[in-house]
Amino acid sequence: MTRRLGCLVTLLWAGVAHAGTAIVGATVYTLEADQAQPREGVTVLVADGRVQAVGPDPVIPDGYQRIDATGRIVTPGLIESHSQLGLVEIAGEPSTRDASVGVVAFASTGATGVERFRFGPAFDVQYAINPNSTLLPVNRMDGVTRAVVAPLPGNDPLAGWGAAIRLDDAVGVQPRLALFGSIGAATAAYTGGSRSALIQRLREGLDGARSFRPDRYQPDAGAYTRREMSALKAFLDAGVPLVLTVHRANEIRQALAMAREFEFPLVIHGGSEAWQVAHTLARHRVPVIVDVLDNLPVSYDQLGARLDNAVLLQRAGVPVLLTAEETQNARLLRQIAGNAVAEGMPWADALAAVTAVPARVFGLPAGTGTLGPGAPADLVVWTDDPFELTTWAERVMIDGEWIPMTSRQTRLLERYRDLEGPLPFGYR
Amino acid sequence: MARRFRGTLAFVAAIAAGHALGASPDGAREPYASTYVPLPAEPLLITGATLLTGTGERLDGASVHVADGRIVAVGPDVEAPGARVVEARGQWLTPGLIDVHSHLGDYPAPSIQATADGNEATDPNTARVWAEHSVWPQDPQFPLALAGGVTTLQILPGSANLFGGRGVTLKNVPSRTVQGMKFPGAPHSLKMACGENPERVYGSRTLAPSTGMGNVAGYRAAWAKAVEYRDKRARAAADPEKDAPDRDLGLDTLVGVLDGEILVHNHCYRADEMAMMIDVAREFGYRITAFHHAVESYKIADLLAVEGICSAMWADWWSFKLEAFDAVNQNVALVDRAGACAIVHSDSPRGIQHLNQEAAKAMAAARRAGMAMSEAEAVRWLTLNAARALGVAAETGSIEPGKAADLVLWNRNPFSVYARAQRVYIDGYLYYDRNDPRRQPRTDFDLDQTARGSAP
Repeated sequence: MTRRLGCLVTLLWAGVAHAGTAIVGATVYTLEADQAQPREGVTVLVADGRVQAVGPDPVIPDGYQRIDATGRIVTPGLIESHSQLGLVEIAGEPSTRDASVGVVAFASTGATGVERFRFGPAFDVQYAINPNSTLLPVNRMDGVTRAVVAPLPGNDPLAGWGAAIRLDDAVGVQPRLALFGSIGAATAAYTGGSRSALIQRLREGLDGARSFRPDRYQPDAGAYTRREMSALKAFLDAGVPLVLTVHRANEIRQALAMAREFEFPLVIHGGSEAWQVAHTLARHRVPVIVDVLDNLPVSYDQLGARLDNAVLLQRAGVPVLLTAEETQNARLLRQIAGNAVAEGMPWADALAAVTAVPARVFGLPAGTGTLGPGAPADLVVWTDDPFELTTWAERVMIDGEWIPMTSRQTRLLERYRDLEGPLPFGYR
Repeated sequence: MARRFRGTLAFVAAIAAGHALGASPDGAREPYASTYVPLPAEPLLITGATLLTGTGERLDGASVHVADGRIVAVGPDVEAPGARVVEARGQWLTPGLIDVHSHLGDYPAPSIQATADGNEATDPNTARVWAEHSVWPQDPQFPLALAGGVTTLQILPGSANLFGGRGVTLKNVPSRTVQGMKFPGAPHSLKMACGENPERVYGSRTLAPSTGMGNVAGYRAAWAKAVEYRDKRARAAADPEKDAPDRDLGLDTLVGVLDGEILVHNHCYRADEMAMMIDVAREFGYRITAFHHAVESYKIADLLAVEGICSAMWADWWSFKLEAFDAVNQNVALVDRAGACAIVHSDSPRGIQHLNQEAAKAMAAARRAGMAMSEAEAVRWLTLNAARALGVAAETGSIEPGKAADLVLWNRNPFSVYARAQRVYIDGYLYYDRNDPRRQPRTDFDLDQTARGSAP
């Protein structure tokens, strides 16, 4: 009875529309204008989904919800730079995967016309992003507020268009913010088995796209289709980045040469051997998305993998973005950042690498990844240093709203934490 | 200089004993026996560190005296004249970490066709194969795990099969042969697998098993044969008139389990499937030592406590397949709190390098849910509990007098993301020193791979 009443009160409370929110007393990393230093004991004012002000003693307007965050750390919400959130629910179950278009998918239907089913760079993930994915609550309650959703190569080195999402219930989708692709042994298999042929194919495509006219295009067998060439042309016209998953130093150089010749912004993802070409990447301001813990020579593309890759890049002046590289566990982003710091990256740079830098590189709404005035109010109140393994997110705000700190996992915990509870498990 | 000389002496001594070449002293009685010989180590007195002993205790500012590779004394006022003093104030000392679930050497890096040696996926019952026969000692992942503080690890066959084969427990020491890494006296294990993997691997070839019931039928048929084989052997031993059965390598393994000499390590995610495996074990009279990947152990932690079965778990892996969908971050803590044996394992060449971080996340998840959990308790998940599951707890897994000096000195609280192993000792010998590149082993594979290179 009391519990039911409690629920009712909670419901009513949640229903109360506050004019805004004041988060009081925290140590706040605003990252505004590349500001690395935190501001201590300040108040963050939020209204209409945006940060209004951060200051030591602002007047808190009437009707604002007041949250005491004394002793807590507030950062911008974390941004995962390379995931399949919303596209993949259970990686091992094909019916829950929408991240790629490839031979496997249509082989299962018995269809044969490979060319007819080709998407390559024309594939666009935006239409399959599932706002009901159970992965979203699990990751957002650990502080991930936005994510780049990337397609994976299916039958061509170019995987298609990626999007960005917010991890709240509304899941705002920002489509076509970058084109994605991959150069390595795995994708070279799509072009006959040589990395060189793969690069030739990309060069031919990009070259053709510059002068592409749909009515005059007569593709040779195996060349990019009309639809794919239209996409490549649209990519070159849009000026958005090509995010290439590429590890070996030689192919990183090749990617850079293409970017310069065909004049598109390049982002390297993976980049196990990027540290070997750090100064070149820095000179051309090519950002690199790194999974710090990916330090194993697991393939002949990655023999040069090392734990301090991100640190060497950052020291050379390369814009570094960090990724957890695991869709279901994008929440590990803070552990990745912590390891970057342990290897020598300055703390504030590691924070920027999971907030402000990815927001800037991917063109997320102005101010995202910072807590400057007018920035989207995506923020996290942490119990302490967010990179530490023994802290956690106490509250998470996305687009100005506190998200519920529950997920399928917290429900399972409630159900089973006391195995001798009064009700049968199915009724808990 | 003196140190190098002693190392050479040991090497010469080992060769003289015929060991270092990996030939077993008595191949028929104990085939593929360990040839590991501890390197001679100078006496040590490690002072001032914060000790997590592995037994659930924390000792602040205590000292550890090591002689002849063994822990001699632990406490606040230990004296050891003549021992080399390692001043460790501000640092933390733990037992060497133990990973009960690894495929290093069997699935080495680089992961290519030529090195995929971990799954004999040609038959759902390959109890006859031994993981140690696949281990490539030059896998560059071994030294990386050493840098993460791992001193002992169990190499298991993969999980494609109902019976994957025998596992082996190794010391994480550089060696030309796997025999030179084998943990002396460690029991063999049998890897079994529940669930989706065998069903998928064989079901996709329209072979048995393709279902859960096919899995259980496969276990039962094999155990029934093993019981018969054992009884036939016993009858032949007792009665010279009776013929012994033809030697069957797979049944030898299963009978080893029935006789309690080989420990069962059972890959099993779901709670209902673990309960089913417990009943299979009851039907044929064997014990399960540990469930691995036990993502749903928290649902039956009470049963696992009663049965005395360990759960080897991840901190937060989930959703990569349906049987891993019901993960909770508190799994490890709930199992521990139920009085069952909780272990954090990696099953990953990446995770094995930071098992301390995995345990830290599991500890933090407990605290987040309002359960008290200390570092001293949590370190057991990587040390003594793991040693018990491997049957080597008398030798390693805790900082106690009489045990091997398998030790890790951390630059700070190892449950911090910023912590790094500074020194790793195995049997008292300094195998890894973060500050001394000459004490950082490199495998043959690593030599002169230009890409591996050094920082600019």
